[in-house]
Amino acid sequence: SGELMDLIRTEGQRMTAAQPSETTVGNMVRRVLKVIREEYGRLHGRSEESDQQESLHKLLTSGGLSEDFRTPYPSLRANVIEAINEMLIELEGTTDNIAMQALEHIHSNEVIMTIGYSRTVEAFLKEAARKRKFQVIVAECAPFCQGHEMAVRLSKEGIETTVMSDAAIFAVMSRVNKVIIGTKTILANGALIAVSGTHTLALAAKHHSTPLIVCAPMFKLSPQFPNEEDSFHKFVSPQEVLPFTEGEILAKINVHCPVFDYVPPELITLFISNIGGNAPSYIYRLMSELYHPDDYEL
Amino acid sequence: CLSDLIETFRAQLRDDPDVASAVAAIRALLGFLKQDRGETIQGLRNSLRDAIDTLSRVDSSVAVSSGGELFLRFISLTSLEYSDYSKCKEIMIERGEIFLTKVSLSRNKIAKLCHPFIRDGARILTHAYSRVVLRVLEAAVESKKRFSVYVTESQPDEAGQKMAKALRKLNIPVTVILDAAVGYIMEKVDLVLVGAEGVVESGGIINKIGTNQIAVCAKAQNKPFYVVAESFKFVRLFPLNQQDVPDRFKYKADTLKTGQNLTEEHPWIDYTSPSLITLLFTDLGVLTPSAVSDELIKLYL
Repeated sequence: SGELMDLIRTEGQRMTAAQPSETTVGNMVRRVLKVIREEYGRLHGRSEESDQQESLHKLLTSGGLSEDFRTPYPSLRANVIEAINEMLIELEGTTDNIAMQALEHIHSNEVIMTIGYSRTVEAFLKEAARKRKFQVIVAECAPFCQGHEMAVRLSKEGIETTVMSDAAIFAVMSRVNKVIIGTKTILANGALIAVSGTHTLALAAKHHSTPLIVCAPMFKLSPQFPNEEDSFHKFVSPQEVLPFTEGEILAKINVHCPVFDYVPPELITLFISNIGGNAPSYIYRLMSELYHPDDYEL
Repeated sequence: CLSDLIETFRAQLRDDPDVASAVAAIRALLGFLKQDRGETIQGLRNSLRDAIDTLSRVDSSVAVSSGGELFLRFISLTSLEYSDYSKCKEIMIERGEIFLTKVSLSRNKIAKLCHPFIRDGARILTHAYSRVVLRVLEAAVESKKRFSVYVTESQPDEAGQKMAKALRKLNIPVTVILDAAVGYIMEKVDLVLVGAEGVVESGGIINKIGTNQIAVCAKAQNKPFYVVAESFKFVRLFPLNQQDVPDRFKYKADTLKTGQNLTEEHPWIDYTSPSLITLLFTDLGVLTPSAVSDELIKLYL
């Protein structure tokens, strides 16, 4: 199984290099590697509770080198395939799992704010709308204005929706009870990489002491730390910000259109994922359950 | 026999100035264990406790205390597995050697984890003399990064000058600043990187006096405050404020022996609370302060 893991790792490296901002690809590869390690360990006869992680305890009691994955086990393949199928079923059910928790968090006559378009948040709000009456304010999230689509979908379900521009976020925040957002990636320290404009929203919420709830499935949790400030940035054509028709100005100025924003963990109140609600300071623990430390660097 | 122990400990620190004092303590204790003529675990534990007390009277730092605690825990864990004393002792000695080899690699592990966080062109502030920080900066230089360092002078022993000298040998541009100039320099700095003498259960650190000030300034100006520490520095203390740190750590061993009025003495260490620390880099990985207590629980409970 050592060879299998090497194969998967090489493929994983190729895929993540192709599209670095899609961190879920790397996350899934790491999950599969962890599954293989677990299944191998189970067949090898190690107890199920034994800790795979480095810890002080392990440092003191271990007798020798870490295990190599050379012993062949014929049933390993079937076990791994079964575990991966279980994982697939879990992945397909994540949005429903998150939506089921909606009623605990949204109460009647509340004003909820969100930004841009997130399928998870859409499902979350729709599920709550079946039993409760509340209002939603959607920040349009320029320049792609995905907030408009979110607002259309929510209003089709009969939820009272308002769209406003990103500049008005702070102005309206005093009337908002909760902020619920989706995200692109969750980093290892509990921070977010989300659509451009989210950091502003988070700061405004912190200023007004409004709880900021992030709805995201666990496969978005990535074991990376925000080491280089520019490492996650993806820029797209500045056409959206300043169209090419404004030809004269273009020669004299630099135009950028970043897609993502970094939100530090202090601004976030709660993460709602398919395994329940968690505080940002607990993310490290969830990470150790999903991935093996040797796989953090693919 | 105890005097041999003290001699071994002192000799190690003399011969290898780079070795961490906790590692030297553990090595000396391992030697003590090998020579012990007792027949029972209980006897062994008692004599080890005496040995650890003796060592802390020589060097009262937190690191020696945490190293000793760890060793004692190591003995207890191993003795639970084997009931035959002589077999147990053999295993202990064997595992002790393995443990020492592993911890000697810990600084390199930490350097590998930490140097990606230093960007090209970064300006780093550090405090006093820390061998782990030195190793991290060495690793950053090896990966061809250019950066500059500000070091606080760190009175009363001017440890900062020692650090500056070592950094200049690595061809890193260094500026030594007054301890009082930290607030002034903070706006120019990109990140703060310090070592630790001890990491407490809450995720806070115990380090050379002045660290708390730097942490507060860094928080006020939104600069990341990174701590690098090996895992054997994790200690079972939970101070809620500066007063809670035991006096035996705050002052040097010689001062404690003279027994004079301690209110006239200047403490050598202070406590930095976890809310001021961004991340801890240890050989167990990159940890947020809340993860530290988890690690300690796994070991001690």
